Amino acid sequence: MSNAIEIDHLSVSFPSRSGPDVVALDDISFNVETGQVFGFLGPNGAGKTTALHILLGFLSASAGTARIFGCDVRASIARERIGFLPEHPDAYRFLTGRESLLIAGRLFRLSRSVLAERIEKVLALTGLPVDIARRPIATYSRGQRQRICLAQALINEPDLLILDEPTGGLDPLGRREVRVLIQNLKAAGKTVFFSSHELSEVELVCDHIALLARGRIVAQGAVHDLIPAGERLEQFFLRMVQS
Amino acid sequence: MIPTLTLARVVWLELLRRKDFYVLLCLLAALCAGLLSLDIFGLGGVVTFIKDLGLLAIWILVWILTLNLSVRQLPREESQGTIFPLLAKPISRLELIVGKWLGCWSATGFAAFCFYALLAGVAALQGGPFAPLVLAQAFLLHLTAIAILAALGILLSTRLNSDAAATLAYLASGACLLVIPQIPVAFETLVGPRRDLLLALYFATPHLELFDLRRRLVHDWGAMPIQPFLEILIYGALITIILLTLTWLAYRRKRFVRGDIL
Repeated sequence: MSNAIEIDHLSVSFPSRSGPDVVALDDISFNVETGQVFGFLGPNGAGKTTALHILLGFLSASAGTARIFGCDVRASIARERIGFLPEHPDAYRFLTGRESLLIAGRLFRLSRSVLAERIEKVLALTGLPVDIARRPIATYSRGQRQRICLAQALINEPDLLILDEPTGGLDPLGRREVRVLIQNLKAAGKTVFFSSHELSEVELVCDHIALLARGRIVAQGAVHDLIPAGERLEQFFLRMVQS
Repeated sequence: MIPTLTLARVVWLELLRRKDFYVLLCLLAALCAGLLSLDIFGLGGVVTFIKDLGLLAIWILVWILTLNLSVRQLPREESQGTIFPLLAKPISRLELIVGKWLGCWSATGFAAFCFYALLAGVAALQGGPFAPLVLAQAFLLHLTAIAILAALGILLSTRLNSDAAATLAYLASGACLLVIPQIPVAFETLVGPRRDLLLALYFATPHLELFDLRRRLVHDWGAMPIQPFLEILIYGALITIILLTLTWLAYRRKRFVRGDIL
């Protein structure tokens, strides 16, 4: 099976005014195969968002390589098959939900005829009512903004969906819908890579995980291989991070 | 090209949905109405006076609109976090900058067109219409000045927040319009390195006064000869390209730190 993501000996450090460089990622390597739902876990400050930003080309690595579907992440072509939902999603508030989806689709160079159909599809997928999609985003609740941003991330029918804390602003119903959506995407052969603090969510949807602590991978593999029988993911997480 | 035009369209929608443009248009209309009803020195409607004040008002309003719109584009993307999903799409930072600039330039150019049309209508009503060719030249040069101002606003906002960028952009463009053209007067009294420094400053800064045809328009001095007109347009295009290149250099490796954003 081919790899959707390949991270090879990746290191990132930032200059510090008050001392030596701050090492955000220290020689991490892992692969995500196509079709996997991959959970990227770690405590606050572990380097998860830095790794996501490298994958999306927002940051440059100090050493090592990162590739998406075989393309170097620094090339904009690598992002053609990606959908991304950031940790604190927001959209242009002066646009309606429908307009923001149209804009997102046009940035992927999709034609208007394709988009007309695609917009209805992603609205249905994310559970955002059509009448709400006609309203300005400024009037949306936090959960509705999260849904419209998720819909934007799906507009290009991505082969790889990168989600940073996707259930953060959602109520229990919304969380369940996101979980179902991820499972549907997996069934459709898509790859989902997401970082989360919600270990119960991760446990329910992920088949593989990587655990990051202090910029290093401390555990990675299939969930059922990593976690000993009788232990919960939360106990495993605490044990690994504290050790 | 599609992403660039799409980003420009977002700026247009922002201008049309926010109230800035309508407020400034109403202000200009109120000023024109006030001028029409004035009977200055018992002479009735003095059309030259109306044209002069109206054009000055248009320059000030367009200056405000262009800088306010351009300096908030990039900082707002960062403060709202919309920069992340935007850059996660297959667009380069150069496309982002050019799209934002194109949007600011075309949208404020459209606003300037509305302002000019309003004033031209008022002047025609008063029996002193603008000479069409001079009006077209004045508008085109004003449009070029808008291109420079929009590029300047976006350049300053790459490293500053929108408030700081706006302050600096107003000061810099105000100095380019009002102070820099006076430098040759000071040449006469200076000698040595101070004179050289002043000379370098004079040639290094954009000469926005070149794009101002108000006097020619107000006093019916006739159209500009085509050669200097084209040279000024080319000069404006070059300054804009230099500013956009500097913007790209400042922005191409900019790191967005989540802690700074939130």
